[in-house]
Order: sequence, then C-alpha cells, then structure tokens
Amino acid sequence: MSYKIPMGPYHPGLEEPYKLDMICEGETVKDAQLHIGFNFRNIEHLAETRNFIQVNALMERVCGICSFIHTLTLCQAMEPLAGVEAPPRAKYIRVIMAELERLHSHVLWAGIAAKLMGFKTMFMTCFELREQVMDILAAISGNRVNYSMNRVGGVNRDIDDPAAILKMVEALEKAMVKTVIPIFTKSSTALSRCTGVGVLTHEKAIRSAVVGPIARASGMPQDIRKAAPYAAYAELDFDVPVQPAGDVKARLLVRALEIMESCKLIRQALEKLPPGEIDTGDDRKIRFMTGTSTSRVEAPRGEVIYSVSFKENQKNPARVHVRTPTFVNMPAVRWMVQGARLADTPLIQASIDPCYSCTDR
Amino acid sequence: MTELTSIPQKLGIRAQFEARSGAQWLDVAGVGIRSLAETMNAIGARFVTITAYELGNGEGFRLEYHWDLNGTLLGFAYEVQKNIDSIFDLCPAVDWIEREIYEGYAIEFVGRPYEPLLLREGVTPGVNLREQPPQEVAK
Repeated sequence: MSYKIPMGPYHPGLEEPYKLDMICEGETVKDAQLHIGFNFRNIEHLAETRNFIQVNALMERVCGICSFIHTLTLCQAMEPLAGVEAPPRAKYIRVIMAELERLHSHVLWAGIAAKLMGFKTMFMTCFELREQVMDILAAISGNRVNYSMNRVGGVNRDIDDPAAILKMVEALEKAMVKTVIPIFTKSSTALSRCTGVGVLTHEKAIRSAVVGPIARASGMPQDIRKAAPYAAYAELDFDVPVQPAGDVKARLLVRALEIMESCKLIRQALEKLPPGEIDTGDDRKIRFMTGTSTSRVEAPRGEVIYSVSFKENQKNPARVHVRTPTFVNMPAVRWMVQGARLADTPLIQASIDPCYSCTDR
Repeated sequence: MTELTSIPQKLGIRAQFEARSGAQWLDVAGVGIRSLAETMNAIGARFVTITAYELGNGEGFRLEYHWDLNGTLLGFAYEVQKNIDSIFDLCPAVDWIEREIYEGYAIEFVGRPYEPLLLREGVTPGVNLREQPPQEVAK
C-alpha cells in the first residue's frame, strides 16, 4: 500500500519553504511532486518599475547567498546596451568577489549537509570557516551579504591591499585542506551517508538540463567560466572537477574540489590584478539603446542567465528575466528521490544546494 | 561536434546565425517550435530558458528560446498572440518555464496539462507580468 508523506513547506530539513510530496511504499520513495512559490515576490515585475541603478539593488536581493552573482550577470547584460565595458581591473575584482562567493556558498552548503548527516561538529567547523570568507568579503566590500559591488561599467570598490586579502585566502585554503576536504572525501561518517544515495544518472541529467555542480557530479563537464568565459576568467588557469557517479557523494566531491579551484583562482587574480580604473565614470550619464541583451554567469549553484530589454533613453528596463540554477536543478530532485529511503530525502534535496528565494523570485 | 553553420541546413532554412547581444541568433521564420526542439535534441544542445516579452499595443508577445551548444548560447524568437505548441514532451526541461510564462503572461502552451507553479489555485494567469492584467484577479 502506498501513502503520501509531505515534506514542507516548513520543515526542519529545509532552509526555505517549499514542499515535496513523496509517494512511499514502506520506507521507500516511489515518486515525488514538488511545489514551489512560497517565496514568490514578482521581482521581474518590480524591476520594470525601477531605474537601472535601483534594479541593481533589487536584483542583489533575489538571493542572499549569491547576491554578487546576480548583479554581475545583470550588469554584464546591461553594459552592451549602455555601450560601456568594465575596465580590466574591475573584471579581476569581479572574479575575486565571485570566487569568494562560491567559497562561502560551498562551505555553507557543506555545513548544512553535515548537519543533515547528523555530523554536527562538522557543521560548526564549516560555519567557523565560512566566517573567515565573510570577513574577507566584508574587508573588500564593507558588507557581509549584499555587497553593492557591481555597477554598470565596473565595480564600486577597489581592492587596496591585495597582499592582505591574499594572506587571508591562504589561511583559509590551509584550513580547507587540513579539515574540510579530508573529512568530506575520506571520513566514513560522511561517505556512508552519501555513497550511492540520490543518484541522478548521466542520461537523466542531460534530459533535465541540470547545471552547475549537479551536472558536473553526473559526468557533464559544463562550466560557463570555461565554455563562455566572462570577466577575466579567460586569463586564468583552473580545472573543472567532474565526477561520474551522480550520487550525493559525487556532488560533495565536486564542491570540495571546486573550493580548491576557487582558492587557486583568487590567488591568481590577486597576483595578476592590473592597475587602472575600476569603472567607466559617472553612471548617471549612462544612456541605453533599444534592444535586448543576455548574459550568463557560473554561480555557485550553476548557470544564471539574465535577459534584459531597454528602450532608447529609458532608465527603467522594459523587461528583466532571470533564470536561476535552482529553477532547473530542482525538478531533477524527483528523479533523485525515486527509490531512495525516506530518511535520506532531506539530505538528497539538500545535495542540490537549493535556493527557493532564487527560484521563486 | 556540430558546427553552427550546419544548423540552418538541418532546419531547412537559408538564414545564418548572427551574433547579437550575448547570443547567436537565427531567424527561424517558417520553422515550428517543435521541429526546432527536435533538431536541438538531435545535435545535443542543452535547453537553457525561454524569455517572454510583451510587444505592447495588443501586438502579442515575443518568446525567445535559448539552447546552449558547447558554450555558445543560441537564440530563436517566435512571435505569438495567445498560444504556441508546447515542447514539454520533447524537452522535459521546459516544464517549469512553460508553466511560469503561462502564469505571468497567460500564453498557453498547447498540448500539455497546466499545473500551478508559482501561483496558487484559483489565481488568474496573466496577473503578474501583462501590461493590462485580466479583469479577474485572485479570488
């Protein structure tokens, strides 16, 4: 006999509200239905009622974790329509901020995953390390969550002392290598909860068009930073970790390896940081031409795409469309939980690092 | 690896891709969206998203479909009045975005059932993003 178990919209295993209705037979999940919309704010409509400077502030609030990435993608979409391009130094600062954001997002996820595995000590360790990343972000931008770094034509704040930031990054990297990476890649506590759990096969991953670490953990070597480089990524050397198994362990490994690649990228970007301006001047003088423009960025959770439309000399966009990574990764949870044990479902859904604030907008 | 130049031939059209505003655009006049989706599947392109724009003055909507081919963003635009064929059966990844556009603009995707996504039961589609929302609003 089958029965339905609802998880959410409010549940200790969920960071944000959404609902997963699971059809179970015994302790095994046979199928699942997802329900979202509990965080719906209609931000795309709000964007049409604000000027391009206000839209930047608005879009920063689509997500509390990857707030920098949203304004980066938005600004990169608006810049061609404004006829401006960020100076080289600004592009490097954008890389540094984006990779710091990836670090704090991945470490935050590692902490939450540890908590869901019943590994509370690791949760505390991860959050202590994440604080170090937040300190660096605050040192650069003055803020911990909404950084207000991006603007059309560059960034708002410079990195005055790259050596000091480099020192902080090196200390963080050492802690990652010493503590987080070994525990997540070798400890039996972590691996026993993750191996063979919540599998998304390569074929299902292709059909679902998943992105980011979820795609890379199912053997798809896709990363917008490599495939369609933006900012200064084309000038930097890094690898794209790929794992074939498609289970929670593979997602764990991909993110753990990406932490190391992010440290590598930050170090290179700080060392190569070119001199010069960080913006193209007074953005109040910016005039937009009629047209639409699209930009893609590799956020911590995967590809983000913004499509922006302006009409000649209008300051408010005619349209802003945001497609976030969780919007495409989330439907794949249905395939991941099929055949799983009910007790594993909180960890499985968390393994995609879902963001409902992004998804619902 | 599929060359960009071979796609128009596969679709049976003469137009060529044109780089514009962050994507490679192809004029697919005369090619149905389902034929396009089948071709994208055949060449192994990854579906990215659909963006809907309202044209104003009652001229309907423009739907911009995007696929990714080895890092190149492909763009195809369709102008519609009220509906367009769904490609959900050919490309399951369009599920949520087709439902979202239906809710935002009341554009119907023909050939698939509708289930609420962001809206709750009983809310009239089109209230979120249309310039002139339908008269009936949330009950």
